[in-house]
Amino acid sequence: MTQTIDTSIYAAVTEAIQSEAQRILAAGEVTAVVGYAAARRKGSAQPIVITAAADAQKLIFTPACVNNLAVYLTKAKKEIPKSGRIGIVVKGCDLKALVGLMGESQLKREQLYLIGVPCAGVLASTIQPDTGLTADSIAPKCRECDARLPQGCDFVPAGQPVTPELEKKYASEIARLEALTPQERWAYWKEQFSKCIKCYACRQVCPFCFCEQCLCDRNKPQMVDTTPRPAGNTAWHIVRAMHLAGRCAGCAECERVCPMDIPLNLLNRKMAKELKELYAYEAGFQVNDNGPLNSYTEKDDQSFIK
Amino acid sequence: MHSEKPKHDFEPKIIAFVCTWCTYAGADLAGTSRMQYPANVRVLKFPCTGRIDPVFILKAFQQGADGVLVSGCHPGDCHYIAGNFHARRRFAAFRKLLEFVGVDLERLQFSWVSAAEGGKWVEVVTDLTEKVRNMGPMTEFKELALEEQWSGAINTEELKEAFNQI
Repeated sequence: MTQTIDTSIYAAVTEAIQSEAQRILAAGEVTAVVGYAAARRKGSAQPIVITAAADAQKLIFTPACVNNLAVYLTKAKKEIPKSGRIGIVVKGCDLKALVGLMGESQLKREQLYLIGVPCAGVLASTIQPDTGLTADSIAPKCRECDARLPQGCDFVPAGQPVTPELEKKYASEIARLEALTPQERWAYWKEQFSKCIKCYACRQVCPFCFCEQCLCDRNKPQMVDTTPRPAGNTAWHIVRAMHLAGRCAGCAECERVCPMDIPLNLLNRKMAKELKELYAYEAGFQVNDNGPLNSYTEKDDQSFIK
Repeated sequence: MHSEKPKHDFEPKIIAFVCTWCTYAGADLAGTSRMQYPANVRVLKFPCTGRIDPVFILKAFQQGADGVLVSGCHPGDCHYIAGNFHARRRFAAFRKLLEFVGVDLERLQFSWVSAAEGGKWVEVVTDLTEKVRNMGPMTEFKELALEEQWSGAINTEELKEAFNQI
């Protein structure tokens, strides 16, 4: 018998989101609301952008609302925030990504109307969307979530999500890998990276991969092989993890969209852990102008330097 | 004139990424002072350690380096005020990442060598060369480059089953 997770507040949350979206659209406070709507498969959800108050009842929140909607405000969608103030439905993890983007001057707080969601967890990527939320079907990121109630939003529906203490899968997997020898770790990652087909879904879905031209797409000089072969794959994943170090908000979208099931978020979590230990930095709800890797102190550790 | 050069079975390739203001000048000083140091090191000059992208180190390993040295000005001496402070954090993080992926960090050396420290340059380069020589060639990244994703051989159960169903 697997432990079920209480998602009874989601009905009230859905209603609150609908009425709030209706209100802000009708009052003209925002020009559009980015949220989740029911999709065609039973129980599934998909992102939706609504611009009319009458469409507000399309919005839902269920355990199938897995996407990080922050990605709809950057990158290819850069013109959207310019069209006026945008309402956006955010879970705690998505809000951390938005806060990171604000810290990097990609978004302005006053351009956004944040509708926070008290979130008890969402489904893992491999689970059918009409499944109930249990300790087995919950996404790994939700097992170690510390942001169930988003803070600093313009509107948060009432409700206190309750989630039992679950085994922290990322933390235990990182600990397992750290305990291996370097050769074993290399063998592990070699196998994982060899699965990569270089579809760049991880890059496409990441709110922080917003460079106009990615270093890995450049060919003068070509720093990373673009072919889906082991050398280029390994370089790509190392570069990706390095470029997200100190920025990644831990939304685990990279891992969710990976068609080859590479544990991408492990690398990001590992870097987050190291940066927390080294520079006491953690992604949170507070906008920081400087992340750990674009600031410094004169007393930083340099025991590894001769 | 020159002392007898010892014969070794393995001569490691060491790539040194150095900053032009301190370590390059330090290496130059070692040269003009006629100090001997291993010729295994290939020096690449950069404006600042802050310019040295971790991807350069990856690229060096992929292209056949057995060891990599990154060297620049002492903290506080940076020509660009804070380049080496930023580099210090970046490389601290990059080391942790490489370690997690399974690269032996003994092959990657960071150092501060000022323009006056010709002797320290000789010492750092000699130490790293000897250390890497004892470790043998770096094979991990080279093997990756030689490896095809799928050799075309039907050598797993899954592939055999799929092949029989055609």
